Amino acid sequence: MPQAEIAKKTLLGVVPVSSPFYAFHPVTRLTMLVFLSVAPLFIDVPEINLVLIGVMFGLLRWGRVRLMDLRKYTPLVVTVALFMFTIAFVSPGDTERLSRFELAGLTFYFEPMWWAFVSYVRLMAMLLGAILYFSTNRERDVLVALRSLRVPYPVSYTVGLSLRSAGMFMQDFATIREAEQARALDLESMSLRDKLKLYTMYTVPLFAVALRRADEISTALFARGYTLSGRPGTGGKRTDYIRDRFVMRPADWLVSLALIALFVAIAIIGRTTGLFAVEASPLRAIVAAALGVA
Amino acid sequence: MNAVEVRDLTWRYEHTTRPALEGVNLDIVEREFVLVVGPNEAGKTTLVAAIKGIIPHSMSGILKGEVRVFGERVEDMKAPPLARQIGMVFADPESQFTALTVEEEIVFGLENIGWPPAGIERQVRWAAEVTDVADLLDKPPYDISGGQKQRVAIASVIAMEPRILILDEPTSMIDPLGKDQVRDICAELKREREMTIIVVEHNIEAFAPLADKVVVVNDGHVERVGPPAELFAEIEYLAARDLAPPQVTTLFERLRRPGRYVGELPLTDEAGIAAGRRLLEAAR
Repeated sequence: MPQAEIAKKTLLGVVPVSSPFYAFHPVTRLTMLVFLSVAPLFIDVPEINLVLIGVMFGLLRWGRVRLMDLRKYTPLVVTVALFMFTIAFVSPGDTERLSRFELAGLTFYFEPMWWAFVSYVRLMAMLLGAILYFSTNRERDVLVALRSLRVPYPVSYTVGLSLRSAGMFMQDFATIREAEQARALDLESMSLRDKLKLYTMYTVPLFAVALRRADEISTALFARGYTLSGRPGTGGKRTDYIRDRFVMRPADWLVSLALIALFVAIAIIGRTTGLFAVEASPLRAIVAAALGVA
Repeated sequence: MNAVEVRDLTWRYEHTTRPALEGVNLDIVEREFVLVVGPNEAGKTTLVAAIKGIIPHSMSGILKGEVRVFGERVEDMKAPPLARQIGMVFADPESQFTALTVEEEIVFGLENIGWPPAGIERQVRWAAEVTDVADLLDKPPYDISGGQKQRVAIASVIAMEPRILILDEPTSMIDPLGKDQVRDICAELKREREMTIIVVEHNIEAFAPLADKVVVVNDGHVERVGPPAELFAEIEYLAARDLAPPQVTTLFERLRRPGRYVGELPLTDEAGIAAGRRLLEAAR
C-alpha cells in the first residue's frame, strides 16, 4: 500500500505537506523570520534567548516539521560551539582583569566563557529562526513575499534564480563526487589535507558547469519572453499570477503588525535600558556563584 | 501564408572561422509539420535558433540575410512578441527551467507576455493535461524524471500558445516511453491546435509519419526540402549523411527497386502492414 507523502523536498531542505503555517500569507511568514532571526541580536540575556529557542521548537512541532529532520544540523551546532568556546578558552583577552576558575584541572576565565555562551545561545536562536522558516516555507513563498512587498521584479527574480542556482550547484557537486566515487575514489582513506586538495579541484568543473548553465538560462529567459523591465511589450504590466493568488487576511495583518511592534519594542528596550544586557541575567549570577567567581 | 521565410541566411559564431549556416533559404507554410534532419554539427540547431530569434538576440556572431516570421523581421522583434509567435523547447529540458516549481515554470512565460490571471489558470490546466504533468505541478522541475522534465518543458512552451512551435531534439535525453509520449503530444498539437511545428530530430522513425515536409541540413546548408516519402526513398543519400529513414520505409524501398512493390512508401508500421497485406493479396 503506498504511503501518504508527509514532506516535500525543496531546494533548501524539506517542508511538511500540510502545516498550519500555510494558512498565513508568505509576507507574514517572512515577518516571523525577520523577527525570530533578528530580535536575538538585541538580547544579551541568555535566558530570554533560551525561551525563544523553546518557543521555536514549539512552533516547529506545531508546524508539523519532523524534528528528526533537524538532526542534519547537529554538526553545525557542535562545530559552532567548539569554535566559540575554544576561542574564549585559548584567547581570553586581558587575564589580569578577568575572573579565573579551575575546572577539570584547566584554567578558565569567566567573562569570555560567559560571553561565548551568551553569543552561542543568541546565534542558535537566530539559526533556529532561519531553520523554522525554511522548514515551513518553500522557495516560492520567499519570492511571493518579496513581490508582495513590492520589491522590484528583477531583484525578486534574481533572488529566485540564485536559490535555484544554489540547488543546482549542490546537485552538480553531488554528481561530480558520485562520479569520482564510482571510479574508485575512497574518501574515507584520504587525509584531511588530501580531501581539501580534492575539494579545491572540484571548483574547476563546478565553475565550468555554472558558467554553461548561466548561458543556457539566459537564452531560455529570452526564449520565454523575459525582459529585465518585466514589461510584456503590450503596454501593460507583467502579470504576477502566483503572487496574486495569495491574499493578506485580517489574521495576517494582526500577526505581522504584532511582530513588528514587538520587534520595535525589543530593539528600543535593548538599546535604551539595561533590561536585556548581559549583567541583567540571573543565570549569570547563579553560575558565577557556583563557580566561585565574583 | 508563410509562417517562416529564411532568406540568404549566413551566420558565423564569434571566435569561429567557418559559418555555421551559409546562404540558407527556406519557406515554412503555416500549419506545416516540418522535420529538420541532418548529421551532427550540420547547423540544425543554429537554423532553428535563428528562426526563434536567439540568433542574433542572445548570441554573438556575424549575421547576413534575414528571417521573417509571419512577415516580421525576427531581428527587429523584442523578446515578448517573439515568444508570442514562436515557442522553443530545447534539447536539454533542464537548461530551460528557470522556476522553482513545475506550475511556476508553466506560468513564467505566460506572465512575461502579459496573459490575464484567469487565462493563465486555463492555459496551465490545458498544457498540463496535454502533456500529462498535472500531478507534478507542485514539484520542483529538477526533481522529476527525464521524460517528465521534457514534458514540463513542452507544457511551459505550449501554454503560451505560440503560432510556431520549435522542438530541438526533444527526445534525445529521454527513455523510449518518454519518446513516444513526446511524439503523441506533437501529434495532438498538430491535430487539435493547428500549430506550425518544427522538430529537429535524429529519431526520424518517430516523427516521419507526422511530417508534411522534411528539411535536410548538411554542412551549414539546406540541401534538400521535400515530402517525407520522397526523401526517405533516397536511402543511400540519407546514409551518407548518417541518417536512417524509418525501417518500414527502407524495407518497402528495397522491395520497390526490383519492382516487387509499386506505390507510395509507407512511413508507419500500420501503413507498412497494410501495404504488406496488399502485396500478399496481389501475390495470391
